[in-house]
Amino acid sequence: ENVDPQKTAFLLRKAWTLYSVTPLYRFHRSRLRDYARLLSAFIAAEKQKGLAVEVGVELDIKVAVSSLADLRGSEQDQAAVLVQLSLRSRVSSRNSEDKLVWLGWFCSVYGDDLSENMPEDFTCLPLFLTHGAESYTSMVGSWFQKTFDCCFRRLAISPLNLSWMVAMWTGCQLDRAASAVELVFSVPRLSQPLDISYAIHPEDAKALWDTVQKTPGEITQEEVDVFMDCLYAHFHRHFKIHLSAAKLVKVSTAVASAHCDGIVKILHSQYLSGVLMLLTELAISQIQ
Amino acid sequence: MDETVAEYIRRTVLKIPRDEIKTMLQKWGFLSEAQLQTLNFHQIKDNISQEVVQLCEENSADIKQAAVLDIIYNHIYQNKRMWSVYQMKKSGEELEYFDITDFKKKFKGRLRSALKNVTITFKEYEDNAIWIRVAWGTPYKKPNQYKPSYVVYHSQTPYVFISASVLKSNLPLLCQALIVASNYHDIREMELRSHSLNSLKDIVFKRYSQNFQTYYPKPVQGGSVEPESADIRIVQENRSEKERIHRLNQEVFGGGPQPKLEFAQYKLETMFKSDPKMGVLDKKEPFRCLVKFSSPHLLESLKSLAPAGMADAPLSPLLTCIPHKARNYFKIREKKGLFPESFVSP
Repeated sequence: ENVDPQKTAFLLRKAWTLYSVTPLYRFHRSRLRDYARLLSAFIAAEKQKGLAVEVGVELDIKVAVSSLADLRGSEQDQAAVLVQLSLRSRVSSRNSEDKLVWLGWFCSVYGDDLSENMPEDFTCLPLFLTHGAESYTSMVGSWFQKTFDCCFRRLAISPLNLSWMVAMWTGCQLDRAASAVELVFSVPRLSQPLDISYAIHPEDAKALWDTVQKTPGEITQEEVDVFMDCLYAHFHRHFKIHLSAAKLVKVSTAVASAHCDGIVKILHSQYLSGVLMLLTELAISQIQ
Repeated sequence: MDETVAEYIRRTVLKIPRDEIKTMLQKWGFLSEAQLQTLNFHQIKDNISQEVVQLCEENSADIKQAAVLDIIYNHIYQNKRMWSVYQMKKSGEELEYFDITDFKKKFKGRLRSALKNVTITFKEYEDNAIWIRVAWGTPYKKPNQYKPSYVVYHSQTPYVFISASVLKSNLPLLCQALIVASNYHDIREMELRSHSLNSLKDIVFKRYSQNFQTYYPKPVQGGSVEPESADIRIVQENRSEKERIHRLNQEVFGGGPQPKLEFAQYKLETMFKSDPKMGVLDKKEPFRCLVKFSSPHLLESLKSLAPAGMADAPLSPLLTCIPHKARNYFKIREKKGLFPESFVSP
């Protein structure tokens, strides 16, 4: 899949909040403009009901819904759907551009596990990513739920999945200088909460991973465990603290960063589909 | 009264929580009790501060007095600032009599000879602390009163606590003025930083309860680890282990409250070691890491790690040495014998 980097540039370096979405019923790609209008009306009605986001100046929300043909894994995947909310001031002059206030997109990257055996009326786009105010997310989510009888749930990322991510991403070969590989742990149940940030020089982390990973292109749970055990052991040697007993809450590499609350930042276009594939998989297992 | 002074006083008063304004103005002592009586403290802060400015106008306040109010505010809310610790060194052993007037004169003289535009204010407190506020200008600009540096100096000690302004370039000059004024010959920054000024003082003045080596270790008072469960069916299986951990913790941390630090940082440049059987990394170069611990009360949370089963007891000396080494920034390199226990394979 050759994804045009221009078209996907908007994905990078933004913090995306993740949701899993059950299949959409009777979603038609030919009707995207209609959906935009209906969603726009819905949002306007919600604001009039008093659930307004903005106070003060009356502002119009403009909705755009589009299809991103390149954003998919295989041909079996549905193309991604992008929803954009912009603010249009009533006093806008001809030159003023609409201000983008919220972005959300549905996608499926190698989501065959879900889409095979799915009846025709259903569109599988199990991963939903949002960037912008929670109130907008809530309105967009409500409309989709009502219109397509689907269900959104925040996607939590377990420490197990976070350790997969950090192992995988540490091994990625990058042409540019990489930032540190950082693991953030939290120890909440003490008398005073403790946070531990463990950052490793990217070259050293990659050197370690390269000796752990036996088959290129393949990663096993055992290899991830060995990698993590090595990091825990090195830490324990110095501080006598069992990091494995702490809660891994965030991992960060030059490729991407992920937080256990289901927030992800993709930093490098080179591994975009790899990251999305992993997230699609997580979304699907949350649905099933 | 200068407009800028009026504005500065207004903004300073605005920072103060409403319930504290009267007390702080009384501590300031610039407005008379009669004037303070005329103030209505039950209105919004905006109005209170306007009224205070008007009263200051009546008394013709200048920047010197305004600066004193600022010191008072920062003395009470000292924990809002980040403090670094500096240690001064004397060339000889002579214990000179400390003359505060001489100190002030030399300090001001040294700063003013280098920088014409500077506001210097002193305030002494009962605990022998001298608070110094310095607002920095340039040869062409008046001092920026909104970004001053604060210095706390206990004259009986070689320690100085500095909360530098954002303008770090003035730090060398500030340090120079300090050693000239206090008759020391050198000053160095310690690797110790925190928001809690008192905790920093506790650490360098050794005012916290330390682990004193006793030749006759007292037994832990009757199994004080956890309250006895009323239900006799519940038995502590590893009571002796819990008691051992508790005792070791006491030895290392002492029985009293710990100084309050928010973080510790370790730059590790040690080798990565592992069981050769695992077939993993065996480089000859260091495994470079940066580890940061953060907590509202770091030492207390470290102390609770072993009892919670999260760490071995005794805890690593890298952590337990923080108070008595008086540092929370470390660079750790591999050294022969750094870890006297032989490496144990995972």
